[in-house]
Amino acid sequence: MSEHDVERRDEALERRAREVFEASVEQLDVGTRARLRAARQAATAEIESRQRPAWQGWLPVAVAASAALVAVLLWRAPAESPVPVASSGATAAIDALEIVAAGDDLDLVAEDLEFYVWLEQAGLDVPDAHDGGQG
Amino acid sequence: MMGPATLEVVSTELPADGECSRREEASLDAAETLDHFLAGVERRAFRIAQMALRDRDDALDVVQDAMLHLARSYGGRPSGEWRPLFYRILYNGIRDKQRRRTVRSRLFGLLPGSRTDEDGPREDPFERVADGAPGPDRQLMADQAMQRLETAVAALPPRQREAFTLRCLEGMDVAETATAMGCSEGSVKTHYFRALQSLRAALGEVY
Repeated sequence: MSEHDVERRDEALERRAREVFEASVEQLDVGTRARLRAARQAATAEIESRQRPAWQGWLPVAVAASAALVAVLLWRAPAESPVPVASSGATAAIDALEIVAAGDDLDLVAEDLEFYVWLEQAGLDVPDAHDGGQG
Repeated sequence: MMGPATLEVVSTELPADGECSRREEASLDAAETLDHFLAGVERRAFRIAQMALRDRDDALDVVQDAMLHLARSYGGRPSGEWRPLFYRILYNGIRDKQRRRTVRSRLFGLLPGSRTDEDGPREDPFERVADGAPGPDRQLMADQAMQRLETAVAALPPRQREAFTLRCLEGMDVAETATAMGCSEGSVKTHYFRALQSLRAALGEVY
């Protein structure tokens, strides 16, 4: 057999093998095709998840951390509120203690003690005078 | 087949702003490109794996692993490089499966009365259920022709089988086949020539 004949036989063999192979590929059963499709979808999902920006992976963590921070701030806010609250007896006593502790106004208090007594009495008398004026 | 280097085109032609949307588009495009590529090779890859392993489930496992491996390890590479890489992964999986079978059959062969893979491939009863596609006579002839081809190809040494399936059945050129087999182009030619010689001897009368 000449070299040319061998080549022709090889080409015929290759062509026939391809035909038979292609036919067997086309005749794959439905179950096998379904499993191959599922495998392909899994691979596609893999590449989608891999190419997603890195920050998207941290997004749930960032949201949870922000929510926790806001909760802590809201919880601590009343204790540190700049809004003035009404003076109670305890806070008045603390204010008086601070005045005494400061010391620099004590002389003024001693000199004008009579004035303060008068002021207190006048203050007590004011509501009576006011009531009398209206009556 | 595939549009070459679709991934790279997308990443370079878009404007610099809008990084997030650009990445999402690239990701979508990569997923679509991969889906298209795999849809084009999955059935052929399965038949090649089945010819080598002579078992449907093992072949499906190997193809599925190869798909995932390609997506994980080479999904970011230009799509033009995927085909030889995919078949390289596939043949690594086939060899691994065959090695495990050999070890398993040796181990179980030590047990009295055990059935080994050398007794023949496991039979899936659903494969006998009629698919209804071609006529019975034509189906029978095609089955017989494929059976002869499978038997002859399965009898080839592994490297000759790889060279024949990639060059002849998958239609790769010598360079792609060399990449897929992880050897030189000269080795591919040698393996392929010897494979043809063996197949000519085995199938020459009927093919």
